Amino acid sequence: MKHSRSRLLAISCLLLAAAGGHSSSRPHYGGTARVLLQYRVNSIDPAAEEDHPATRDRMARLTFETLTQVDPQGRVHPRLASSWRPDPAKRVWQLRLRLASFHDGTTVTAADVVASLKNAEPGWRYTATDRQTVTIETPSPITQMPELLAVEKFAVVKRLPDGTLLGTGPYRLSQWHPGEHALFTANEDYWGGRSYPDSIEFQMGAGLREQLLQRQLGPYAAAELTPDGIRTLDQSGQEVLLSRPADLLVILFLQPDNAGVAGRKKPIDPRLRQALSSAMDRDAISNAMLQKKGSPASGLLPQWLTGYEFLLDSAFDRARARKLAADAGLGVPSPPISLAYDFSDPVAKLVAERIAFDASQAGITVRPYGESHVNSKSAQASMNADAVLLRLPLASLEPSVALAALAGDLGLAPETASSALQAVRPEDLLQAERKALENFRVLPVAHVSQALWLNANAHNWQQLPNGLWDLDQLWVEGVR
Amino acid sequence: MLPRLPSTQRCHTGPSLTLGMLKECYTSPFPHMSKTALRRRCCALLILLLAVSLFGGSAQQPPPSPLVAAAGDLVQQILSRSGSPSAVAITFQNSSAMSGEMQEIVQTAVFNSFRDAGVRVVKPEAALAEIQIIFSEDWQGYLWIAEIHEGTSTQMVMKKLPRPEHTATGRVPTLTVRKNPVWQQDAPILDFYADNQNLVVLEPDQVSLYANDGGQWRARYTLAINHEQLWPRDLRGRLKLNGGQITAFLPGTLCAGSLSPPSLECHASDDPWTVDHGQIVAFYSPRRNFFSGILSGPSAGASVVPFFSGAAWPSGDQRQWLFAGTDGRARLYQNDLSTPAAVYNSWGSSLAGVHSNCGSGWQMLVTAPTDNIHPDSIQAMEIAGREAQPVSSAIDLTGPVVALWTAGKSGETVNTVMQSTVTGRYEAFTLTVTCN
Repeated sequence: MKHSRSRLLAISCLLLAAAGGHSSSRPHYGGTARVLLQYRVNSIDPAAEEDHPATRDRMARLTFETLTQVDPQGRVHPRLASSWRPDPAKRVWQLRLRLASFHDGTTVTAADVVASLKNAEPGWRYTATDRQTVTIETPSPITQMPELLAVEKFAVVKRLPDGTLLGTGPYRLSQWHPGEHALFTANEDYWGGRSYPDSIEFQMGAGLREQLLQRQLGPYAAAELTPDGIRTLDQSGQEVLLSRPADLLVILFLQPDNAGVAGRKKPIDPRLRQALSSAMDRDAISNAMLQKKGSPASGLLPQWLTGYEFLLDSAFDRARARKLAADAGLGVPSPPISLAYDFSDPVAKLVAERIAFDASQAGITVRPYGESHVNSKSAQASMNADAVLLRLPLASLEPSVALAALAGDLGLAPETASSALQAVRPEDLLQAERKALENFRVLPVAHVSQALWLNANAHNWQQLPNGLWDLDQLWVEGVR
Repeated sequence: MLPRLPSTQRCHTGPSLTLGMLKECYTSPFPHMSKTALRRRCCALLILLLAVSLFGGSAQQPPPSPLVAAAGDLVQQILSRSGSPSAVAITFQNSSAMSGEMQEIVQTAVFNSFRDAGVRVVKPEAALAEIQIIFSEDWQGYLWIAEIHEGTSTQMVMKKLPRPEHTATGRVPTLTVRKNPVWQQDAPILDFYADNQNLVVLEPDQVSLYANDGGQWRARYTLAINHEQLWPRDLRGRLKLNGGQITAFLPGTLCAGSLSPPSLECHASDDPWTVDHGQIVAFYSPRRNFFSGILSGPSAGASVVPFFSGAAWPSGDQRQWLFAGTDGRARLYQNDLSTPAAVYNSWGSSLAGVHSNCGSGWQMLVTAPTDNIHPDSIQAMEIAGREAQPVSSAIDLTGPVVALWTAGKSGETVNTVMQSTVTGRYEAFTLTVTCN
């Protein structure tokens, strides 16, 4: 941990030093920021199921605003809501909306917000108390409601009958070619003032390596990177922005223990799942496969966020793994575990293969294979695999909100999210996390940093510790 | 029980709580534990003295350090959770960035808190409860974890607390830039005016008036700024007070009013702004964050490149101007505004002239060329001929400078507003230059 901490510190220092090399500080207006995204997304709807929701949210945040927002220090601020107040039990939250307009010029009303939130979280009760006030009532207390409402899932979207989605954000979506290209232009009437760049343009599924080989990075402001891309850029002395190890690389066994539907695969024996957990050499995965851009995971939330992850046991113990596997098989070789991974993610392939190797050393057969869709719940439901290797973003810098979001992403019992959101003490959260991991249906593998190449002409590009982008203050040099 | 502690220091308590015996409780040594017992005792005493001085305590009644107080609170929580056993054994582990010295201070505080609560600290074999205290951390601060083992049951107490802040040491300057705090608030501050009686704060949507009430600023009135157009981002504004008359320049808007009776009228306007103490008057782009470069007032008819900030001052019988252009370059003009005499490339975009009794009598306060999401710094420069020379050490700030305006009757102060990256609050202060 110390090593990674000092590395991060060094990176931060380098970034600060690099920032100090720019020759101006007040933002400049104008220009286009062009961004290369690693993955392709097909919809910008924050509520739609999407294979790469983190990529989608990078773009969606420009157009669809949440009621609150969290800054890089983890502090919550007003956004579409100008203020809020809970009842003493933290079950009823009243939010006052600011005066803002959707991109078609219509004013944002409490009714619009209620309609949008209902779509995001149908289990709560909403009331438009007056034109500018929304009341949210939840079945159980939620202490961190303002932080929760900052998650992109709760972005306010106005859905027109023809399927058009309207937002209130600083940029309007002006071109959308699913999976290929998106162009956002500055909203001149944005309540927070017109953004500095005239537009932001995204190229999806673009290989940085090809751009590098063709020496075509010049026109771009930023590009998402894979670990091999980082190495390539390091060698050419380029600036790389690394988040803290925030994304969770995790194995999810698809069949719950109580699954007994005829025709579906049987759940894998919990002892075999535990054996696989003990068989994984997480240090090697982090060091070799992730090229030290990750840290071994024993919990769902990373150590840097909670301070307690090390209390969760995930020790590499091959002898124990062998014994557990033997116990599970009752003397018969255990059945092979088919492990699906994201076909479009080269890192996932490497990690899955390493897991299969580690498992084989403990007498467990794991058969990794690539799938084109692994992250969405509908894809998982139709999948024939026993388990899937997922890379899940850390949705919030507030641990309880982040844990609740992960529980949702992993399809865990609703009590996990509920107890996370009710946690008032760190030990409550640890308890909720322990409960989520106790049956070994979810095996954390690593926490992975997000990496970004940043052109020197892009200023005020803020990457939150969890890898989210805050482009609110972005400006590009060379224009006025 | 603790599967992964990459950086861990362990300690086992002994039965004694006396200072001299403190170190003997450790079963696995820290690197600095291979000293002699005498040195250890001296060291422990020095640490306690350091703890007292570090947290600003006086010799008579040192206030408890935040960490010591937190240690006491942790012990209270442990006792509350464990039912106050009469004898406990304690082990410590440090997996945080907390220094060994600070850890010892906290451990001592933990021992003292148990003793004050009437609980004996004993060896594990004689203990009714074994307590393992782990000093961990998250990205925002420390997390102290206590695992309480009583018989077959294990309970846990966690305590979060922020890291103590460290202060930076300064360098030896030629001149000194003094920072005089005036006001801070959550809402943005664009400019301000303060004298002995009044504080006037220009905000995006109002002007706030405060009166001096026994050394405290008490809110008197807020005067709304009515404006038709949306404000641009990086909103800037300039406040001028003259004999109780208020003038506020905002992008595309001019407000005029008075302190008494309090009043303010705003209207759409493209009138030029007074940039400094009256020597530069310039037109501001109504939907952007810079001056267009077209000058008015004493330099009416002249124009320079668009600029973020500017200063003008006399030098002998010459006049000099300095403008921080929107292209990232600062340009020096001497005598006339047709051609720059020098160009400086490594300055920030905010600069302001300040009149002092030191050096040439005029210094330029200049921000660093950092992006405005990072902490900034301000340094005094003097222009000698065409050379710009730093004449003070840089003042490191805890956030970006959002406003830097020459103020005072003859430009003897500079109004500065910074947004702290630590607290998020806007801090208004004046800067002056004094001789060493």
